[in-house]
Amino acid sequence: MAAAAAAAAASSLTTPKLTFPSLQSLYRKLPLSFPLSLSSSSSLPLPKTLTTTTTSLSSRRPLSHHRRRHLTTRAEAENGAEASRHYDFDLFTIGAGSGGVRASRFAANFGASVAVCELPFSTVSSETTGGVGGTCVLRGCVPKKLLVYASKYAHEFDESRGFGWKYDSDPLHDWDTLMANKNAELQRLTGIYKNILNNAGVTLIEGRGKIVDPHTVDVDGKLYSARHILISVGGRPFIPDIPGSGYVIDSDAALDLPSKPKKIAIVGGGYIALEFAGIFNGLKSDVHVFIRQKKVLRGFDEEIRDFVAEQMSLRGIELHTEESPQAIIKSADGSLSLKTNKGTVEGFSHVMFATGRRPNTKNLGLESVGVKMTKNGAIEVDEYSCTSVPSIWAVGDVTDRINLTPVALMEGGALAKTLFQNEPTKPDYRAVPSAVFSQPPIGQVGLTEEQATKEYGDIDVFTANFRPLKATLSGLPDRVFMKLIVCAKTNKVLGLNMCGEDSPEIVQGFAVAIKAGLTKEDFDSTVGIHPTAAEEFVTMRTPTRKIREHPPAEGKTDHDVKAAAGV
Amino acid sequence: MLIDGEVNHTNQVEEEAHFDFDLFVIGAGSGGVRAARFSANYGAKVGICELPFHPISSEVIGGVGGTCVIRGCVPKKILVYGANFGGEIEDAKNYGWELNEKVDYNWKKLLQKKTDEIIRLNGIYKRLLSNAGVKLYEGEGKIVGPNEVEVTQLDGTKLSYSAKHILIATGSRAQRLAIPGQELAITSDEALSLEDLPKRAVVFGGGYIAVEFASIWRGMGATVDLFFRKELPLRGFDDEMRDVVARNLEGRGINLHPRTNLTELTKTEKGIKIYTDHKEELLADVVLFATGRAPNTKRLNLEAVGVELDNAGAVKVDEYSRTNIPTIWAVGDVTNRMNLTPVALMEGTCFAKTVFAGQPTKPDYNHIPCAVFSIPPFSVVGLSEEQALEQANGDVLVFTSSFNPMKNTISGRQEKTVMKLVVDAETDKVLGASMCGPDAPEIMQGIAVALKCGATKQQFDSTVGIHPSAAEEFVTMRSVTRRVTASGKPKANT
Repeated sequence: MAAAAAAAAASSLTTPKLTFPSLQSLYRKLPLSFPLSLSSSSSLPLPKTLTTTTTSLSSRRPLSHHRRRHLTTRAEAENGAEASRHYDFDLFTIGAGSGGVRASRFAANFGASVAVCELPFSTVSSETTGGVGGTCVLRGCVPKKLLVYASKYAHEFDESRGFGWKYDSDPLHDWDTLMANKNAELQRLTGIYKNILNNAGVTLIEGRGKIVDPHTVDVDGKLYSARHILISVGGRPFIPDIPGSGYVIDSDAALDLPSKPKKIAIVGGGYIALEFAGIFNGLKSDVHVFIRQKKVLRGFDEEIRDFVAEQMSLRGIELHTEESPQAIIKSADGSLSLKTNKGTVEGFSHVMFATGRRPNTKNLGLESVGVKMTKNGAIEVDEYSCTSVPSIWAVGDVTDRINLTPVALMEGGALAKTLFQNEPTKPDYRAVPSAVFSQPPIGQVGLTEEQATKEYGDIDVFTANFRPLKATLSGLPDRVFMKLIVCAKTNKVLGLNMCGEDSPEIVQGFAVAIKAGLTKEDFDSTVGIHPTAAEEFVTMRTPTRKIREHPPAEGKTDHDVKAAAGV
Repeated sequence: MLIDGEVNHTNQVEEEAHFDFDLFVIGAGSGGVRAARFSANYGAKVGICELPFHPISSEVIGGVGGTCVIRGCVPKKILVYGANFGGEIEDAKNYGWELNEKVDYNWKKLLQKKTDEIIRLNGIYKRLLSNAGVKLYEGEGKIVGPNEVEVTQLDGTKLSYSAKHILIATGSRAQRLAIPGQELAITSDEALSLEDLPKRAVVFGGGYIAVEFASIWRGMGATVDLFFRKELPLRGFDDEMRDVVARNLEGRGINLHPRTNLTELTKTEKGIKIYTDHKEELLADVVLFATGRAPNTKRLNLEAVGVELDNAGAVKVDEYSRTNIPTIWAVGDVTNRMNLTPVALMEGTCFAKTVFAGQPTKPDYNHIPCAVFSIPPFSVVGLSEEQALEQANGDVLVFTSSFNPMKNTISGRQEKTVMKLVVDAETDKVLGASMCGPDAPEIMQGIAVALKCGATKQQFDSTVGIHPSAAEEFVTMRSVTRRVTASGKPKANT
């Protein structure tokens, strides 16, 4: 969606959401910065309704709010002393990734004067390198998806043979072409993000931001004062300290390798591990995945976990379950061996660890200003993303809530509304959909069967496990698995899971339905789009199983299932 | 009364004994099979007849599974999958894949596998019927009386059965245009079973079948010329989106000839010569007429019992799919309501519920999603902008997003994906959604659930995106593109 993001950005740039109240208050308070940040905006019918607006604003003030907020509109009236203090900026954001850019842009559109600082661009992050766009654009979603696209062709060539396409020789892949084209695209995107900030009137400062006091940020020795400080510095891959861990690469490096791995060990069972396993497998590396648990993707629906592991194995990925890494040894010939609790596997050109990510909270000066952190080093925030220091806020991966780009965007958008539009807004974490770009990919929204059983007790589970039309022709062992979890009492669809081609695209629309609280009947009353895979979700007539906390004495459930099964 | 009562109710046993079947279905396509199976599951005794199997239909050829399975959705989608690889192979190069300049294509292999697959599905449908306890007869069905059908078998012998209810589900067939040389042209039936892949293909028609076949042949490397009468293809769809589809077809290398009629076809040594009303001449290996389909009602002997037809020859039915003869019903394309497989399924299901489950059920034609499997595909649910303006009381908000899909950033393909939401300004309800771009049909299904249940724009906005996907654009359209009043004049941006 890099491009989509740009398009979305562009569209909101052409029609900036400049609400009159914030504009007017700003006009009164910050006459100097006003022309700078808003000179590009189109309509400014300001002074006419000034009085009435101010009145209505104060009456709309959030009453439920326990924390004192420095809303620009109220500041002057109520906190004269504080408000009269001059700040360089209304908002200073540390970190220009998804959450930081969103919060900064929206805040600027709401009329605030905003600065954001970010480390210099590099494909690999460190204490001193980052880049505008952040993890998503430079070291996450975007480059990952580009490599997924590249690697998926191998499967498509295999499929195409079944459809009559003939290749004189097996298609070969040139790693350098891919890396060069990928990096050109990343450069383009980081430029677009800079433009977005620039067009929104946000001041971009390159350098490392450090908090000095509740209203001051130090960027490489230069001090900036701000009414509010936003921490959106994200997270970084974490590699456990075991012997030989110096030979290990993380996902940052894996996205920008100088050459294609011949044989790679990927340690970890999370989504990052699976996505890279699919990428390297598609690009014809010999891929071994080592996971500590019995199954991949802890936290996902159990059936999905089994299904994706099986499908990945069928595509040639070797899964080593219940194997914990103990050491990496470099041989004389330069190859690497991975020693685990079960033995040693030799001959790897690369060993990649996808063993979790940690918030980037070191050396930010947080301890000195008293910003509280969790044991994992994540910043503790309230429902409005406010830290223990009232003028300091945090969004995105650095808070370790749900570490997804769209969630950071939601948090950033909500924060801008809370601070600069007089609309205290809590991000809503219900029914957040997500995807794993493994091959085949996974899409899910709502609860897993296990969560639903725990939370609701009585649920009906509908599943479909089928060979898609494409696979009947290609002859490949690809299958699709789908699952709907329905509350037996209310008939609401609690969760939807899918593994198979196009899952991420398919699940988005259903996420709207589930977020809206729709029932199984609503799904059933929708006519299918034929022939698609997605239509299966609206044609699941018979529950695969009914889970009851207290099974009825009579075997009525079984009977129901059988009676319906023939339909 | 529509309610037929419960089949196993004692006082009805006597009455039912007069008939060989509770239901006799003529035509075992999507609608007929669904109605037959569901009726049998509700306890009815069901017979069904269908013509012998062959990929190309005629008055005496058909096959269990019907148009969808044998001559429509399924074989078409298989060819679209095949053709889609053409674009993928082009796209792969900038992703680092080294391929020969010309990748070969074995059409016969695909055709054989397609035929194998529809034969397999034909078998599956037969098993579905027998597992449901439905008795299948091979032969041509005719209506003899309000409760009497006759099946002419392959060997000419005739079977006669009485039935409490008769269901007509004989579907429709592709029509040729009556111009000189029309016999040189083919219809979609033959197009799905061509011996050789055409090098030069001409397609006449602006409907979904025309654009799908144009895409199929183009994807496999043929030169394709698409002729249609209107300014844009896909009449009836959202005008803005029709334009997008046209541009994308052109982008994929199809030559469009809008506002053009074919006037004559002649056979020459170099191929079929095509004459147009613009005085153009063109040579082609294959000329496809995708100029509409007509209901299969001619040989059913409907006049004998007085079943009413409309001007197009479609069986006229009420909201419960009942004809003017109370014991005779009709579902699917033969009624020419909304000619889609899932709609025929819905009608078949509603029929079975109405007649054999004591639950009078009307099919609901609101918010029926559909897809055009052009390359790239196009999919919609709900109203077009034009329809919304016609039906809305107040203003309509239009949200559009036109973007370069991420995959194209590296492949270099110049093709925009376009999405559109049409929203009622007063109620905030999303009235229509449409998309042209890769995966559109798969993406639209979930959106259809939301629209069917009256989702608001606010509910779309409150849904978090799946990143990075194309579909997430549907939940991140923050700024209205234009506000339109019923008078048709767009207002300035709001």
